[in-house]
Amino acid sequence: MNWRAYGLLLGCLPWLAMAVEPGKDPVPSVMWAFYHKQLLGEAPFVFDDRVRLLAPPFAEDARQVPLEIDARAFAGDVVRVLAWAELNPLPKIVDFQPGERVLPWLSVRIRIEQATPLRAAVQTRDGLWHVGSTLIDAAGGGCTAPSVVRTQPGWEEHLGEVLGGRYPRGDSSRLRLQVNHPMDNGLVSGIPEFFLNQAQLLDADGQVLARLELFPAVSENPNLGFDIQGPGQTRLVLRDNSGNAFEAAIP
Amino acid sequence: MRWLLLLCLGLCLPAWSATDYSLKPRQIAAGTWLLEGSTENFAKANGGNIVNTAFIVTEAGVVVIDTGPSKRYGEALRQAIAATTDKPVIQVLLTHHHPDHVLGNQAFSDVPIGALAGTTDLLRQQGDALAENMYRLVGDWMRGTEVVLPTRELAAGTLTVGNHSLRLLALAGHTGADLAILDETTGALFAGDLVFYERALTTPNSPGLEVWLQDLDTLQALPWKQIVPGHGPVASDAGPFVQMRDYLGWLDQLMRDGAARGDDMAEMIRCPISERFAGISLTRYELIRSVSHLYPRYERAGMKRVDTHDPD
Repeated sequence: MNWRAYGLLLGCLPWLAMAVEPGKDPVPSVMWAFYHKQLLGEAPFVFDDRVRLLAPPFAEDARQVPLEIDARAFAGDVVRVLAWAELNPLPKIVDFQPGERVLPWLSVRIRIEQATPLRAAVQTRDGLWHVGSTLIDAAGGGCTAPSVVRTQPGWEEHLGEVLGGRYPRGDSSRLRLQVNHPMDNGLVSGIPEFFLNQAQLLDADGQVLARLELFPAVSENPNLGFDIQGPGQTRLVLRDNSGNAFEAAIP
Repeated sequence: MRWLLLLCLGLCLPAWSATDYSLKPRQIAAGTWLLEGSTENFAKANGGNIVNTAFIVTEAGVVVIDTGPSKRYGEALRQAIAATTDKPVIQVLLTHHHPDHVLGNQAFSDVPIGALAGTTDLLRQQGDALAENMYRLVGDWMRGTEVVLPTRELAAGTLTVGNHSLRLLALAGHTGADLAILDETTGALFAGDLVFYERALTTPNSPGLEVWLQDLDTLQALPWKQIVPGHGPVASDAGPFVQMRDYLGWLDQLMRDGAARGDDMAEMIRCPISERFAGISLTRYELIRSVSHLYPRYERAGMKRVDTHDPD
């Protein structure tokens, strides 16, 4: 990068971010620099344990690894949350943009191909990325294992069915959703990519509460959990990469 | 060249002796010997010897109950039997298909290996993957180990071997196909992994905790004098049953409560573990595993269909 481009880049960033020292990477990683460039465009960042990325220490089932991204320490200040599994063949997990009424908290289940660092990068309004990290051990093979959904006869008829529930918790409520979809990632022989790639959470008036982009590291039959504030029905609108649209209403 | 060979041998020998199971059979009843494993997890330090195996010396020959986690364990077990009795091994009984109980089968391939039909099916489906994972966890102890399928199908009923009458029970709580063996001659109940004692129970193939609880009722009602758990110390009182029920009941309630709160799996695995289970090894590790195995069923039971129309 030449100096002019460098100056241009810096000029675009808020002054605060320029002086930031990223700190020490809390996990052993050979890929950080690559993903910093690839996914964060080399923007200023800090390794920040206030972004809590919670996963089991090992993957009991590498096709369904629970992951909880908790950036509530930055509530009200979060623009975007990106998560990825560094050593996955398809690393990207989600791009989550919570609105005002949705807490910067998300639960999702993912596939991992081998033991790997996991990252959640949370961008605050000042433009700075706060990166939460954890490590997970695994016997492996979660991304290349044949889909369980496809072994069930007639699975196509259940495509897009959604199970859901809303659970009051103090001044917010937990929204849980489970969508029937094989989430084919293209790594299983002879089965092309077929996965849910967009989700929107809407309120009763159709206003967007949160936007979510999903990637094929998300497990088949995706599980999603949100914490939302305020009452009223919520709708989830989903779309897959074949253009199928699905919808659910959670009372 | 010869020097090189000797050098290699010299380097290999210490490694070889480090992977010696040193099995020491302990007599627990007339003609009945136990090989008690530790209550640890699989590790390179223990060679996977975390399991209880046993053999019964009858007038007609020796009945072996489970063959251990590796070919090398099976061979060591066979040697330990030969050092205890002149009688030949005439029958192997497998309690279930999990790798720590069946991967010693190679050392008994000249003997009928009996198991429930469901156990053979499960081992056929999962055996290679289970063995592969054991290589990862235990390392060199596994060298040469391969899956050997059972050769004789067992059903519930009485199996008479020499002067011992063995009551076979076909149960399901731990894996869907679990054999328990009551030696009516000695009163020893070989519960397989339907009973863990002072070691957290494992649930990768459990059809459900309620099935398991029913099996415990069935087992406890038998005229047993001693309980040989699949993992943990032998007991002559109902202690293992009490502990199993307490733990299964706690695990079930924990997951019911979690599902009612809308907790996700990642939250469930961090739940506090009751102080009263402090004496049980590996509770946190097994909670993480059990939540992965069982919690999705609890979640689904607590959710409703909410999909509306297809907006297209």
